[in-house]
Amino acid sequence: MLTHLKLRHLRCFEVAACQPGNGTTVFLGENAQGKTSILEAVCVAMRLQSPRTANLADLIRFGEKEFAVSATLAGQELLFGYSGNRRRMTIDSETMRSSGDYLRQSALVVWMSNDDMALVRGGSEGRRRFLDFLGSQLHPPYRPALRDYERALRARNFLLKRDAYPRWDQIDAYTRVLAEHAAILTRLRRELVARLEPFAAEVQAEVSGRAEPLGLVYEAAGGDRLEEVLAGFRDEESRKRGTAAGPHRDDFGITLHGMAASRFASEGQQRTTALALKIGQARLFLAESRRPPLLLLDDIFGELDPGRRNALMAALPVHSQKLITTTHLDWLRDHLQPESVYEVTRGMVAPGT
Amino acid sequence: MNLEYPTALQSLILHLKRLPGIGSRSAERMSLWLLQQPVGTLAALSEVLVQVEQEIKPCASCGFFATREGCAICQAPDRDPRLLCIVEQPTDILPIERTGAFRGHYHALGGRLAPLDNVGPEDLRIGELMDRIRTGEFEEVVLATGADVAGEATANYLAEILRSSNVRLTRLAQGMPVGGGLDTADSLTLHRAFQHRRNLSHDA
Ligand SMILES: [Zn+2]
Repeated sequence: MLTHLKLRHLRCFEVAACQPGNGTTVFLGENAQGKTSILEAVCVAMRLQSPRTANLADLIRFGEKEFAVSATLAGQELLFGYSGNRRRMTIDSETMRSSGDYLRQSALVVWMSNDDMALVRGGSEGRRRFLDFLGSQLHPPYRPALRDYERALRARNFLLKRDAYPRWDQIDAYTRVLAEHAAILTRLRRELVARLEPFAAEVQAEVSGRAEPLGLVYEAAGGDRLEEVLAGFRDEESRKRGTAAGPHRDDFGITLHGMAASRFASEGQQRTTALALKIGQARLFLAESRRPPLLLLDDIFGELDPGRRNALMAALPVHSQKLITTTHLDWLRDHLQPESVYEVTRGMVAPGT
Repeated sequence: MNLEYPTALQSLILHLKRLPGIGSRSAERMSLWLLQQPVGTLAALSEVLVQVEQEIKPCASCGFFATREGCAICQAPDRDPRLLCIVEQPTDILPIERTGAFRGHYHALGGRLAPLDNVGPEDLRIGELMDRIRTGEFEEVVLATGADVAGEATANYLAEILRSSNVRLTRLAQGMPVGGGLDTADSLTLHRAFQHRRNLSHDA
């Protein structure tokens, strides 16, 4: 359980601290006051990544050189500091050599926000990021494999663009490295989607209140045998000057009653499906790690009708600690009985009433 | 006018600042420490520096640090002339030597492929490598570049251009650090150790 949180020079905050309660903690405030940044800080402290940006330097407060966030989790103090070219990771003041060592002692996190609709309606990039966020948390090799894949991809794409005639001898030196990591990622993503599906389907039925069969289908972009696949794309790669297949083009399809949810589902159904993916993630984490994940819910209640709100609350893992941001407390107070409420105003966090 | 250190001292600070990992503050501290040493210390140091510059040159053949007397590796009579181990940097040679597992010859590339840093094959000692293989009696070439993305890509590149030459190509096995339990290896290393696992049964 997360008991203390302290941030310094992060986004709009000079310094801020709070003590989340056992069950539900609410951060109340108008828009653009910094509520979301508090949840983001928790996410970064727990998972060393932000759901809002791929570049952690974005989190450094304007005019400062570094940010730091510390979180006390089950009595251990996790501290993460970042300065653009250096990162510091300690647990109880002991420096962690690798992010793997740090993450192993951290909590699993589920992030829910208004943007989740994009998982159903938006482009494939959001769905890949979702898989990456799940995979990095559940499987230790996922994160380093993704990092090395992206490194090899950047070098390969650079070489494809650099010369008037592609130098295949140099490009293919990277093709093999790319393929090796693609195979790991593809296998892990396939497993991940298959294991998420039953949990997401279960939640879809609960929240919609009727039989609404949800399906998830992993669509690998050649990652199982990437060297072979790319050999068939020589002409296209020469023309388009980019890597034509591989996990960076992966996707997963979402169906309701066997039909693409992005095209054939109503807006209400899509909203339910977005919730089902995220709560399904929470249940998957609970099942795989036997520890209830930390839930970070960023202003998700405003958009939902009362029926879905209630169904959502009922579907969340009971023993998960919940950190929630909202602009209005009324409904939450009645349904969630938050243990602590903080008011967030212009980069200040203060205990609320 | 602002008071500054005398020019000679400023110049020393500037020189030290160019050393890897040394910032202005450390360069200043080091300079002041040097100044406080007993008479003669700095003269001895400068003598050593001059000597190093004059006497130590990279071996034209293998790239290791050679002296006026020549290269301790290339001239050793007891090394196996059929074995060649390719490493990224000359500094990679000593750790391999200390293992005692390899008694052949070496070739330091002077770097590794890094297109984004503008390092291509023409920046590495690959021409020299091809000459050595063409004129030498090597039967096996061990690719001992790093196990990260750049090291792997460099090994793949070399493997491809050496394929037509008449040598057996081997790559250092990727895997578990010796002496470490499964819990100490990082997860990707462990994953790859599984992919490159060896056959221990006798029918292989
Ligand atoms: Zn030599």
